[in-house]
Amino acid sequence: MAAVDHDIAHAHDDHHPTGLMRWIGATNHKDIGTMYLWFSFIMFLTGGVMALTIRAELFQPGIQIVNPELFNQLTTMHGLVMVFGAIMPAFVGFANWQIPMMIGAPDMAFARMNNWSFWLLVPAALLLISSFFVPGGAPAGGWTIYPPLSVQMGMGMDMAIFALHIMGAASIMGSINIITTVLNMRAPGMTLMKMPLFVWTWLITAYLLVLAMPVLAGAITMLLTDRNFGTNFFNAAGGGDPVMFQHIFWFFGHPEVYIMILPAFGIVSEIIPTFARKPLFGYSSMVYATASIAILSCIVWAHHMFTAGMPAAGQLFFMYATMLIAVPTGVKVFNWTATMWRGSMTFETPMLFAIGFIFLFTIGGFSGVICAIVPIDIQVQDTYYVIAHFHYVLVSGALFALFGGTYYWLPKWTGHMYDETLGKWHFWLSMFFFNLAFFVQHFLGLAGMPRRVPDYALQFADFNMISSIGAFGFGLTQLLFLYVVLKCIRGGEKAPASPWEGAKTLEWTLPSPAPYHSFETPPVVK
Amino acid sequence: MKEKKAKLDGGKLLQISGAVFWAFFGVRKQSDLELDASTLTPAQVIIGGIVGAALFVGSLMLLVSLVTS
Ligand code: HEM
Ligand SMILES: [Cu+2]
Repeated sequence: MAAVDHDIAHAHDDHHPTGLMRWIGATNHKDIGTMYLWFSFIMFLTGGVMALTIRAELFQPGIQIVNPELFNQLTTMHGLVMVFGAIMPAFVGFANWQIPMMIGAPDMAFARMNNWSFWLLVPAALLLISSFFVPGGAPAGGWTIYPPLSVQMGMGMDMAIFALHIMGAASIMGSINIITTVLNMRAPGMTLMKMPLFVWTWLITAYLLVLAMPVLAGAITMLLTDRNFGTNFFNAAGGGDPVMFQHIFWFFGHPEVYIMILPAFGIVSEIIPTFARKPLFGYSSMVYATASIAILSCIVWAHHMFTAGMPAAGQLFFMYATMLIAVPTGVKVFNWTATMWRGSMTFETPMLFAIGFIFLFTIGGFSGVICAIVPIDIQVQDTYYVIAHFHYVLVSGALFALFGGTYYWLPKWTGHMYDETLGKWHFWLSMFFFNLAFFVQHFLGLAGMPRRVPDYALQFADFNMISSIGAFGFGLTQLLFLYVVLKCIRGGEKAPASPWEGAKTLEWTLPSPAPYHSFETPPVVK
Repeated sequence: MKEKKAKLDGGKLLQISGAVFWAFFGVRKQSDLELDASTLTPAQVIIGGIVGAALFVGSLMLLVSLVTS
């Protein structure tokens, strides 16, 4: 952002704990960030294997590989693992690494709580995954765990509920940490409106998390007592209301989807100005747009429930509100494009992922607006059209931004340049296979193929086969990503302090790799 | 958002509602932003934002009831 007065020569010996205790007792934001990132990558591969099993089953009509019960467990767990295990922790990993370095702080505000919020994730993940091996198997009613199915299922459901409780507590602690760090630990001169956009988006996301996670906790606690202690919150036979669960869940759920995309907006807003060599167009409007998206995201939840039974006035309200939320989102796309306009652009891997993000996220945004139109949604709800929509926003949105951010900051994290050629291969293969896997799902959905089914009618066969080929290609391509990252960690061309000539934020004033303790004396931002 | 400006301390309320309106739209002139940043407190903007959201919900409900009546 601004010119910096910082004495890089100030040599501090990098003493730090070693061995296993370095990780178990970690309080260093960089170590914790690294653990978050590896955790989320492992969960990404775990959820990915489930996805490929699903796609293998759907390669042809008929039941070939998994029985319908296991199929339903796989779709449910794929969603839960990807949302709570892969995407959310990955962004927290980025926050841990980057926020202190970008605002000139020595570490996160509550270093021990930071350790706790990471380590809580591990038992939660084990609890979630091991539900596959208990009597009755893993939850199988969809990642949205709607009653009545979620009240009827076996003990795997209780394990998932506990796992979600723990992960929610971890997220809330992480958010408190981020809010406190950003509000209290900025370097002198780093006013709020000088903060890098990644920090802004995370600050707003953290508030959304604090708002949304307790709502989820409430919903699943009611589910838990309905299951085990004879309450009837959601049991119609006992005077309860299953639709109430949907309202509570989506009051958490829609803010949740923005929790997964706002930090992605932040990463893209760092990458685009760097590689266009121009300051971000409309910085302040980006901050405003993010804040208004966050507020509006709390009043659109029932667009997930148009077919659950609701008065016409309710349908119209949520339809209008949902369509209006596309306005600040569109402003962002406009600003990124305007940033690139007449910039002197180069297309290194982070920039490729950022541009891929803009293209494909826009497609996902548009299909979202289409789903928001009630008469259309009544047709496409619970079909592959919705699957296509949210994979465009989550995979080519959130995940592509995570890839771009990883390539962007890997030189700072590891001290080495990644292999640019392989990075570009990773991008183009991901781009090709992603669209192969998911674009055709729009057609499947429009033709009426329902989601969450292990078998389908013959007329859907061709597009399903194409989609499965794309999914396997996409999955295998991610092993290339793993290889590029490992190669970069182990060696490669030495990275200078600032390998990107257009990069202006504070972390690039530190040497690469960033020293274990950075900004112990805060820099002065002018 | 604009009806309230006349009452209390007109200029300030107008400025707050302007900031909130443009924030919802997602665009703000740089010069206006700097003025806001230097003259408005965070509490004013946050309360303004909550009031703005309530008005937004209210006007949508009004619109919906007009459309469905
Ligand atoms: C322009 C912005 C967006 C609009 C207008 C929009 C609209 C919608 C609508 C109306 C639905 C319900 C469709 C149905 O079930 O019939 C939906 C589903 C969904 N959206 Fe979006 N969306 C937007 C952005 C996003 C973003 C940014 C994400 C995540 C990063 C996201 C993730 C999801 C997910 C996960 C579902 C499906 C949930 C489920 O049923 O399992 N959406 N969206
Ligand atoms: Cu939604």
